[in-house]
Amino acid sequence: MNSAINYTYTFSHGVEWGWPIAVYLLLAGMSGGALIVSILIRHYKKQEASTPLFKAASLLAFVTIMLGMVCLVGDLDKPLYFWKILINYNFNSVMSIGVLALCIYIPLSFVMVLYAFEDEILELLSKRFTFLKGLFVTVMQILNKIRPLVNALCIAFAVIVCAYTGFLISVLVRFPLLNTAVLPALFVASGLSAGIAGSSLLAALCFKEDHHSNDLKTLHKIEWPVMAVEIMLLGMIFVSLIIGSDAQKAASAAFCGGAWSGLFWVGVVGIGFCLPIVLNFLLGKKVASSNLAFYVSSFASVIGVLLLRIFIVYAGQTYDIFI
Amino acid sequence: MENKRRAFIKYLSVGSVGVGVASYSNLLAKTQPSQDETKDKKPHFGMIFDQNKCVGCTDCERACKKVNLVPKDQMRLYVQDKTDPQKRMEKRYVRVSCQQCVDAPCVKVCPTKACHKDENGITTMNTDDCIACKYCIVACPYDVRFINEETKSAESCNFCADTNLKDGHEPACVEACKYEALVFGDLNDENSYISKMLNVKDSLRMRPECGTNPSLRYIPVVKLGV
Repeated sequence: MNSAINYTYTFSHGVEWGWPIAVYLLLAGMSGGALIVSILIRHYKKQEASTPLFKAASLLAFVTIMLGMVCLVGDLDKPLYFWKILINYNFNSVMSIGVLALCIYIPLSFVMVLYAFEDEILELLSKRFTFLKGLFVTVMQILNKIRPLVNALCIAFAVIVCAYTGFLISVLVRFPLLNTAVLPALFVASGLSAGIAGSSLLAALCFKEDHHSNDLKTLHKIEWPVMAVEIMLLGMIFVSLIIGSDAQKAASAAFCGGAWSGLFWVGVVGIGFCLPIVLNFLLGKKVASSNLAFYVSSFASVIGVLLLRIFIVYAGQTYDIFI
Repeated sequence: MENKRRAFIKYLSVGSVGVGVASYSNLLAKTQPSQDETKDKKPHFGMIFDQNKCVGCTDCERACKKVNLVPKDQMRLYVQDKTDPQKRMEKRYVRVSCQQCVDAPCVKVCPTKACHKDENGITTMNTDDCIACKYCIVACPYDVRFINEETKSAESCNFCADTNLKDGHEPACVEACKYEALVFGDLNDENSYISKMLNVKDSLRMRPECGTNPSLRYIPVVKLGV
């Protein structure tokens, strides 16, 4: 800050990007995360059939990204003009790059739904809309031929979508909490964690997957390293703030003592990290293998990631360089 | 196997040399036109706010609203009273407005190119293309952009690019200032008053650490105390 002359009056007065953006950041991260883990597990276990986990993950990925689009367009002050973003590209803008990635990612996630529910759709079509059956069969024949390619593209774009949501806000130089290099990595990690929790929840609830099935056990195993990475990245952001400039030091109040620190400690750390750890490790094997622990800890993980995004968006925009 | 590896290394080295040459020639291409640019002298408009002369009358604010049709309870330009409460006799005012950055973050992040540099290098808005995503507002390190309540588009001071300046006048605030606290002109023109002024006066840029290279300069009151 220039001590000789400065101003503190500003024109935006508060948080410009509110909860719809935070919810969108969760939904996009969850969508990408779900597809990444489910495709990797399929590949790793060399599965051929559509497992309940794959069904759940692909459905979750498609539904969440579409809901995310609703949030994103709804947050515009001129939502009916959203198509302008599709014809006027600015490749310097992370938002434009993200929109381009979404234009490829959304159809890919829809193709994943087609793969997962091929048999069900075929059954439905042969019962009701018989005229569409021939078309669907031909389309699936082509799609099944290029399945490895679609899988690879899907993983790549899922990672891009997860990471771009982080880059989107890490370029905002005015906000010390947001303008850090590790934020995109944090968003990929927390997106993975929400994707894992969300798809295992959906697999158990809607597709009758056993809680102790092979797939869910694998998911359960990768859940903890991902969480460890998340905690580490949050720690990095905190350390970079407390050793930084005056504005960065002031922004570290986001974690300790500021208006949003309660949300962080109770919501992100308490619900998101501690509750699943306590239920799964500290209360003994009996509790850890119960249904209750499974549902509560998965749900808590998703809520934790949502609260993390809300915390980042709101606390991030609260502490700026105007001190 | 050995042959393949050798060929691979060969291609790799040829490739990297190629990339190196390409990037070096790119660098040359980038540096050369900038020397020519100074010759054909495209204007680079800038402004000086002199804190020694500003008395806080807010004539500039009113003129800006009138000329640019800014909605009633919004403003592109604000004069903030930064007088130290301990020293009430030493009045200090400061102009709050778009800093007209050369590397403008708002232009960089705008997904629809609605926020752009016009032919004079002034950062301005094409309100029809703005979808009001507010990315430019959060990206601006000076927080001087806002959504116009009437047009629902983002905007900020553009040196009256589409009003006074287009008609050959100076920006409204500069015309309205009775105390010559504001100086407007072409920084690329060595003979302009603003360039001469900057040659002899010490001036500051707001928040140079943000790397945006603002075109708005501030001359602060500096009392050394004899």
